[in-house]
Amino acid sequence: MGEAIVVTSGKGGVGKTTSSANIGTALALLGKKVCMVDTDIGLRNLDVVMGLENRIIFDVIDVASGACRLEQALIKDKRFDQLFLLPAAQTKDKLALSEQSMQTIVAKLKEQFDFVIIDCPAGIEHGFRVAVTGADQAIVVTTPEQAAVRDADRVIGLLEAQKISSPKLIINRIRPQMMKNGDMLDIDDIISILSLDLLGIVPDDEHVIRAANQGEPTVMRPDSPASMGYRNIARRILGDPVPLMNLSVDEGGLFKKMRKWIGLH
Amino acid sequence: MSRSARSAPAKVRDLVTVKGIRNGLLFVLADDVDIADVLEELEHKIEGQIKSDGTLTAYVECGQRKVTDDDERMIRKLFATHGNLIVGGFAGAPTVSSLRHKDPYVFKGTVRSGMLIEHDGDVVIIGDVNPGGQIIAAGDVYIMGHLRGSIHAGASGNHQAVIAANYFEPLQVRIAHVVRRAPDVRTRPAEMEFAYLDGEQMAIEQMAYLAQYRAKMS
Ligand SMILES: Nc1ncnc2c1ncn2[C@@H]1O[C@H](COP(=O)(O)OP(=O)(O)OP(=O)(O)O)[C@@H](O)[C@H]1O
Ligand SMILES: [Mg+2]
Repeated sequence: MGEAIVVTSGKGGVGKTTSSANIGTALALLGKKVCMVDTDIGLRNLDVVMGLENRIIFDVIDVASGACRLEQALIKDKRFDQLFLLPAAQTKDKLALSEQSMQTIVAKLKEQFDFVIIDCPAGIEHGFRVAVTGADQAIVVTTPEQAAVRDADRVIGLLEAQKISSPKLIINRIRPQMMKNGDMLDIDDIISILSLDLLGIVPDDEHVIRAANQGEPTVMRPDSPASMGYRNIARRILGDPVPLMNLSVDEGGLFKKMRKWIGLH
Repeated sequence: MSRSARSAPAKVRDLVTVKGIRNGLLFVLADDVDIADVLEELEHKIEGQIKSDGTLTAYVECGQRKVTDDDERMIRKLFATHGNLIVGGFAGAPTVSSLRHKDPYVFKGTVRSGMLIEHDGDVVIIGDVNPGGQIIAAGDVYIMGHLRGSIHAGASGNHQAVIAANYFEPLQVRIAHVVRRAPDVRTRPAEMEFAYLDGEQMAIEQMAYLAQYRAKMS
C-alpha cells in the first residue's frame, strides 16, 4: 500500500508543479514506483514540465466520469518505467472532478504505486479540496516572501482542519546572498511563523526554467543546485536523514544554522 | 393536494435542532429521550456545521433535562473533538447582559492566517497568533506566545480591555473603537508587553504595569 502526498501552497507560482515533477522523478530515480497526479484542471502544467504533453489521450476527468479506465489514462514516463503521470483535463469543467471520485482514484493508485504525488492547484477552493482529499501527507511549498508565507499558513490551517497531520515544508527559490543581506525572509523566521518541520530547501536556479522548457525535470541534471535540493528532499521522504545542502555564502553562518533546523548538529 | 396533507408525513422529531443566532449557533437538545441518543445525533449535527474557516460559539439548551457533570463533560468533548465550535454555555441563547460575564475562552495551538476566534469574554491563546489570524473579544486578550496577527479587545465597547502578549508584534490592535496598526518599518518584537487605552490613545506598557493599571481602573 503506497502513500499519497499532496503538494500545495495556497499562493500561485511558488513551485508546486516544479516540486511535484522533481520529487516524483527523484523518487523514481531512487527506484520507487511513482504516479504523479495533476489536479490543476484547466491549467495543466505537469505534463509540460515532464515533457509528456504529446502523449495525453485521456485525463483524470475521463477516469472520474467513467469515460476510460484508470490504466488507460496513465502515461508512462520516457525516462523511467516505474514513473507515471495522470494528467489533468484542459478543457473540461473543473467541478466535474468531485472529492469522492478523487478519493477513489487515489485509493486505486495507492494499491499499485509506492508514492502518489498530487500536484494541487493554487487557491483554497474546490480544486484545493479535491487535491487534498485522498492524501495521507502534505508538502507545503513556499518562497521566502511575506505573501507566500501568509498563504502557506492559511493552507496549513486548512490541512489541519482536514486532519492531514503535520504537513512538511519546502522553501523554494532561496537566494543565499539576498537572505544573508536580510533582503529576503530568513529561513528561521519562516519556520518560526509556520511551526512546521522543514523537509528541504531549494535554491533559485536558472536550470529549473531551462529544464521546464525542455520538458526534462531538473533532478535529471546532477550538477544543478535545485537538483541537489530535490534529490535530498526525496531521500528525506524515504526516511534518510540527509543534512541540508550547503548554500556556501560563508561556512559557519547560514549552513550551520540550517543543520540545526532539521535536527543535525 | 391540501396543505395539511403535504405537511403530514410523520417525520421523527429531531433530537438536536441547530439554530443560527446573533452570536453563534444554538443547539437545542431534546429533553425527553435518552441522553445517549441525543449525543449520537449531536455528533452528526456538529459535523454538519464544520466550515473550514473561522470559529463559532455554540450555545447549548437542554430544556427540562437535568444535565449531570458527566453529560456536560461528554457534550463538551464532542464539541472539542469535532469541528471548530466553541461551547459558550449550557443556558441556551445568551442574553445581552450575560455577555459580559462569560468564562474566558482558552485556545491551545497556532491561530493561523484566515482563522477567526470570536468570544464574548476574555480570550487566552496558548500559542502564536500569526499574520492574517484574528481575534475579536468582548473582554481582554492574553497571548502566551508570539502575537503577529490582529486583535480586537473590548469589541462591544469596553474601554478598559487590554491586549497582552509574550512577544508583542501585532499587525493591528484595537481596543473598543481605537485602532493602532504596526509601524511600517519592522522592529524587534517587544517582550512581555500589553496595550491599553489611555483616554482616546492606545498605550503600550511593560507587563509589570498591568496590575497597577487594573488597580487604577477599579
Ligand atoms: N527553484 C527555482 N528556481 C528558479 N525558478 C523556479 C524555481 N521553482 C520554480 N521556478 C519557476 O517558477 C515558475 C512557477 O513554478 P511552478 O509552475 O512550479 O509553480 P506552481 O506553484 O505550480 O504554479 P501554479 O500555482 O500556477 O500552479 C515556473 O516558471 C518555474 O520554472
Ligand atoms: Mg502548478
